Amino acid sequence: MIGRFTRAAVAVTALGTLAATAACGVDSGDGGSSASAGKSKALKVGWSTIYLTPSWMQQTDKMLKDDVAQLKKDGKVADYQVFNANGDTSQQIAQIRAMIQQKYDVILVDAGSSTALNPALEQAANAGITVANFDSLVTSDKVVRVGTDQKEWGRMMGRWLGEKLGGKGKIIAFNGPAGVAVSEERWQGAQEGLKQYPGVKVVSNVHSEYNLAPAAQAFASAYSANPDIDGVFSQGGALSAAALQTLVKQKKKLVPITGENYNGFLKLWKDNQAAGFSSLSTAQPNYLGVIALRAAVAKAGGATVPNQIMVPLPKITNENLDQYVQADQPDDSYPIQALPQSEIDKLIGK
Amino acid sequence: MPDRLTAALRGNLDMAGLGALLVVLLAVYSHYDSQVFTPASITILSAQFLPLILAAMGQSTVMLAGGIDLSLGAVLSLAMAVFAVRAEDGVLVAAGLALAAAAATGAANGVLVAYAGLPPIIVTLAASFLWGGVTLVVLPQPGGSVPSGLVKAYNNGWNGLALPFVAIALVLLLWKLVRTTRFGLSLYAVGGNEHGAYASGIGTRKVKISAYALAGVFIGLAGIGLAIQTGSGDATIGTPYTLNSIAASVLAGVSFFGGVGQMRATVLAALLIGLLTNLLLFTGLSPFYQLIMQGAVLIVAIAVKTLATRERTQ
Repeated sequence: MIGRFTRAAVAVTALGTLAATAACGVDSGDGGSSASAGKSKALKVGWSTIYLTPSWMQQTDKMLKDDVAQLKKDGKVADYQVFNANGDTSQQIAQIRAMIQQKYDVILVDAGSSTALNPALEQAANAGITVANFDSLVTSDKVVRVGTDQKEWGRMMGRWLGEKLGGKGKIIAFNGPAGVAVSEERWQGAQEGLKQYPGVKVVSNVHSEYNLAPAAQAFASAYSANPDIDGVFSQGGALSAAALQTLVKQKKKLVPITGENYNGFLKLWKDNQAAGFSSLSTAQPNYLGVIALRAAVAKAGGATVPNQIMVPLPKITNENLDQYVQADQPDDSYPIQALPQSEIDKLIGK
Repeated sequence: MPDRLTAALRGNLDMAGLGALLVVLLAVYSHYDSQVFTPASITILSAQFLPLILAAMGQSTVMLAGGIDLSLGAVLSLAMAVFAVRAEDGVLVAAGLALAAAAATGAANGVLVAYAGLPPIIVTLAASFLWGGVTLVVLPQPGGSVPSGLVKAYNNGWNGLALPFVAIALVLLLWKLVRTTRFGLSLYAVGGNEHGAYASGIGTRKVKISAYALAGVFIGLAGIGLAIQTGSGDATIGTPYTLNSIAASVLAGVSFFGGVGQMRATVLAALLIGLLTNLLLFTGLSPFYQLIMQGAVLIVAIAVKTLATRERTQ
């Protein structure tokens, strides 16, 4: 009896604390809205992202914040809020609905599912909100989508690898998690690219999270079963780094491995360039977020913006590697050269 | 008589605690969203909370039988995928298939727990990988499609009727009925004291298998709800529901040791968790602080739960 009572009491206290915190939030929220009411045309912008903690997202977050600061200075943006769904797509739907209810003018989305957000995003668009989606894209054509062609990513890598091996050899395919749209698309593209080289055989298809530790384990077991490979099609930075690291550690032949602008991989590549290692890498540029923001702000201001903005994939090769690799930055970063404003304007059709 | 009085009070205290919290939350909520009590808002919110409420009911069913279901998220995705893939050929057939699949996975868990005597945590963990893989075979990429009329009716109301709200009411009614059957009574008996239940002539294995299968039905309904809400299927979307459903059950006072807990408390707790996360979105707190708040609430809930069970086992 006492236990029950304690439980109820503790629960009430806990919720009371929460309510108090929330109540403080109410006051500050009211203050914020009255302040923004002063500037009439400045926009209320929200970004809902499926993850915020990975370093790529951190870099994107920083780039977006810098650009928002610029737009605030120009009087185009009044308020900017970031929502992190932490991997939970249902939570992301809740965030989008909350932004609709709170009458945001612009919603930016890095989607956790290519299909599940469509009804919520279309509802936002119907409510007159400008929705711009970048990086991980949805299938709805009612929102502005800013991305790279993931199939082309795979195709470009597949072709390069086939050519590099002279059209003959065994490779390991090193892909991201099964069932994730980006991973599936890159792999589909790679298979198309490799089709021109029927002599290239995929001896093992490994899936891993885009994370160094699990990737290293996954690659090591696939490699021990197939030590005589001639190349690796890898679709992401940490995966490529894990693969190259394994070859270097085991002092094996440094076969070509495709990659990404993950600094850890670029550093390893540079260290082993003299030993004959070569790669073709590309990038999912962080400035996708900035392009989406600029496109949304332009559209909310009445400009016509293309609904689908395909941003070209950068190419990192033996020749321009030095422009990308940053020896003083941590492994877990994605060096990229900023896109000039004129290029952004061209992409959003200004 | 005093025993009955105490029992009634106990149950009401649990519900009263959660109810008080709900009132506080709703009061704060209406500050941010003055339209929260309008039919449109109720429709949107119930559409959003339905999958978690149903998933939590599934988890509570298993916990009442003294188990735990770590495969819940995977099975939810499976039901969602099956429904989304088949929905265009007929919604009812697709729903039947999805429910059958989910109930079958539940029964399989139950058989392994009841007959092989394996710990539920191991069985359902293994099952989560198994069904996660099967889901990817059914639906390798997010896709499938649900008739758009149904998606609209579910999310925006059908002739002013909040369909998800009705669905939750119906499921609760179903549970009430189940609760009065021999199986319903046996479920609490088996969860509370398996040996005692066996000694008094209850087929404990059958009860366990039925409990897991019934949980499968709830989880299947949650998956179908999520498919209709999102208009599609996605093999990876269910995972967070495993832990969220456990959190809701724990907050509701359902015991990890089985036999103790009320389904209406679970519904209320799931609603509270949903409202709380929504409320945190309104506050404009930085995203990381929102995570801290969510975590803090769960820790408090589990701490409270531990206090209560400690008293029980003394």
